[in-house]
Amino acid sequence: MSFLNVIRRRLGFLFLVVVGVSLITFAISHMIPGDPARLIAGERASDQIVAHIRETLRLDRPLWEQYAHYVRDLLHGDLGTSIRTGRPVSGDITAFFPATIELVVAALLFAIAVGVPLGVMSAVWRDRPIDHLVRTIAVTGISTPAFWLGLLVILCFYGRLHWLPGGGRIDQMVAPPPLITGFYLVDALLAGDGVAFASALRHLILPALTLGFVHVGVVARQIRSAMLDQLNEDYVRTARAGGLSRLRVVLGHALPNALIPSVTVLGLAFGDLLYGAVLTETVFAWPGMGSYVVASIQSLDFPAVMGFTIVVSFAYVFVNLSVDLIYLALDPRITDIG
Amino acid sequence: MSDASKIVAAITVLAAAAAAPAAWAATAKDVLVIGKSADPQTLDPGVTVDNNDWTVTYPAYQRLVRYKTENGKGLTSVEGDLATKWTVSADNLAWDFTLKPGNSFADGTPVDAAAVKFSFDRLFALKQGPSEAFPDGTVVTVVNPTTVHFQLKTPFAPFLYTLANNGAAIVNPKVMEHQKDGDQAQGWLSGHTAGSGPYQLTSWEKGQSIVLEPNPKFAGPKPPFSKVITKIVAEASARRLQLEGGDLDIAEDLPGDQLDALKKAGNGITVSEYPSLKVTYLYLNNKRPPLDKPEVRRAIVAAIDDGAIIDGILLGKGKPMGGPIPEGMWGYDASIKPAAHDPAAAKALLKSAGAEKIKLSFVMSNKDPNWEPIALATQSNLAEVGATVSIENIANATFRERLGKGDFDIAIGNWSPDFSDPYMFMNYWFDSGKQGLSGNRSFYSNPKVDELVRKAAVESNQAERTKLYQEAQKITVADAAYVYLFQKNSQVALRSDVKGFVFNPMLEQIYNVDEMSKSK
Repeated sequence: MSFLNVIRRRLGFLFLVVVGVSLITFAISHMIPGDPARLIAGERASDQIVAHIRETLRLDRPLWEQYAHYVRDLLHGDLGTSIRTGRPVSGDITAFFPATIELVVAALLFAIAVGVPLGVMSAVWRDRPIDHLVRTIAVTGISTPAFWLGLLVILCFYGRLHWLPGGGRIDQMVAPPPLITGFYLVDALLAGDGVAFASALRHLILPALTLGFVHVGVVARQIRSAMLDQLNEDYVRTARAGGLSRLRVVLGHALPNALIPSVTVLGLAFGDLLYGAVLTETVFAWPGMGSYVVASIQSLDFPAVMGFTIVVSFAYVFVNLSVDLIYLALDPRITDIG
Repeated sequence: MSDASKIVAAITVLAAAAAAPAAWAATAKDVLVIGKSADPQTLDPGVTVDNNDWTVTYPAYQRLVRYKTENGKGLTSVEGDLATKWTVSADNLAWDFTLKPGNSFADGTPVDAAAVKFSFDRLFALKQGPSEAFPDGTVVTVVNPTTVHFQLKTPFAPFLYTLANNGAAIVNPKVMEHQKDGDQAQGWLSGHTAGSGPYQLTSWEKGQSIVLEPNPKFAGPKPPFSKVITKIVAEASARRLQLEGGDLDIAEDLPGDQLDALKKAGNGITVSEYPSLKVTYLYLNNKRPPLDKPEVRRAIVAAIDDGAIIDGILLGKGKPMGGPIPEGMWGYDASIKPAAHDPAAAKALLKSAGAEKIKLSFVMSNKDPNWEPIALATQSNLAEVGATVSIENIANATFRERLGKGDFDIAIGNWSPDFSDPYMFMNYWFDSGKQGLSGNRSFYSNPKVDELVRKAAVESNQAERTKLYQEAQKITVADAAYVYLFQKNSQVALRSDVKGFVFNPMLEQIYNVDEMSKSK
């Protein structure tokens, strides 16, 4: 019952988020000085041409009318047409968003896969060399600019060693898998296309490691402190006294409890990764939403900016919801979340 | 299998897939790969005003005329492309073009007079940026399937040259099948091509790559590449690495230091340098005191050390300019020498104008990485003559807004011509009717110059036009309407096995992909 309650409440909340986000983004994008019509027409265009474009784009109407139009279209599932590209915003989102999510999920998985063991080891062997090493890795990760790290790994693994591709999402001579989910790895598997899968995977490795590296430190530190709390608990001592092996106590008892508070951190990390992806995408020529949104902002392309903001806020709400549901599943004592 | 061994097996499979032999070789001989810093925005020739889009559109369409190539050098004069010949009436208003037979669009539709009419009608109906180059009120009519007539309302001397523009592309009338809500098929054409050029768009993975393949119905010689791929690689260092790694054949938009490094390293990459018509100059707000006084403007011209800017900031990859028309464009006047750097004269001029210790704003954006160092150089040059410059670095959209309103003392800009006619410099920059963003960004006004450039715009005799423009140039240089800094060299980095590239200063970022090839 409680799962349904949480989901129902969050969906109601989602509506408010979308209204709020669209209103704020709309207001901000119209407060920025500059005329998108001038940007499409080119600097040299005469005033008549610019006026004509403003009229076609309805930019000459009062602000409230433009907003009303936008919301009406939005309710019909229409995110409008990009001013800069002349294409439907929903199409652009379908093209760019899955690429970003694929990268972010891969980076997050990498951060968890490496960060959790490191954190556990660091807590178990506290203040021993391994702990110092893990803490050094954590600090390095957090303080390394993704941009710089990205160039470094390209230089090393592409430029010198020739092990992995230097950028892009798939080899230019390999056809991308047919679009189903937009995630190349998943789509390639669904289509049974081994060549596309291998190529997509090879392209994913370096950017995912670069983006995830920062969060290895975040995850390791979080797990370390949660584990330290757990290891000092009475139940751990009791279990050890009862004759359970150290490994079993650490992995079987302490770790699951330490993971509960860490789920929140991972949820937040997902949000961080989403915006951190912009720089990584630039370095790795990853066709995600990062460069698209930056270009849209520079062109004052408000339908595109708003479309993405709305989709991203959906993603945030969805991730938050998932975090809460995972909480419910992990901790049987919690029966409801506000 | 236990869970653990299943996981191990899965990891092994993934690792094997990842370690599969890399396609580590140069791109295939019949494929050309161009690395670009940004995705094109729209491919509709009636809408795009950006050279970055034209890399794709230009080879996909044909136009009535094209720029000539002579001995491997791209010229600014034109010859027939779709048109075989043309006539013009004595009053310069009526133009008749005869079309070459046998040209057809990629779907087999013939390129006839109706298609030409359709393309221009569409361009004028869209009334977006590219239509700006064509005179208002032009009417296009079909005389017969191979003859098309253009009737101009007022004489416009550069008319023939505007027909080589990207915007003058001849579009297949069948695109109207894709029209939605009266958009002239704009939505469809923003992501597709519908031309008769040597190549056509076959796929566009947004933000990633664009593939052009030969147009099977192209009337000219069969193009050498089976694919022309444009890859989007936003980071300059990454573009350079991919060029070195052989994943790119051409890398656009590399900063000067990277190009120098590539040149030194050699290893299979050629960096060529070409004089361009891209001009960087300073706008001096002629309407706003103290710059409304010509002496003050002349003092600024004398105070700025142009040579040091070219050597220090452009690393010598540019040419100083004396007047507004750059070298390489007809109408250029070699007798106008670049202004000498003379701080003493500048001081004297400021003193005579009673404008010692003036304070000026220098407004700029980060659109061009060279602008900031130029602003700093200007600031220190002017400090030497007693003028205080405060630099305002603002967002580009805001910057343009302020340029349009004339809300600056000094501002900076780049300019390159849309069509190969000195009109692009003289009429845009000095006609008082074009004050503001559209061209005359110094808000310059001189009735004599207005008269000269307007006359040159309607006169058909080129020798006479040259004379008029040269007279106007002398006046405007004396009036110090702008500070002409330099015309920048264009540098192109290609892998050395790429042959036959012709640089045309009118076609920056456009490659003659139908004539290039790769050596075996």
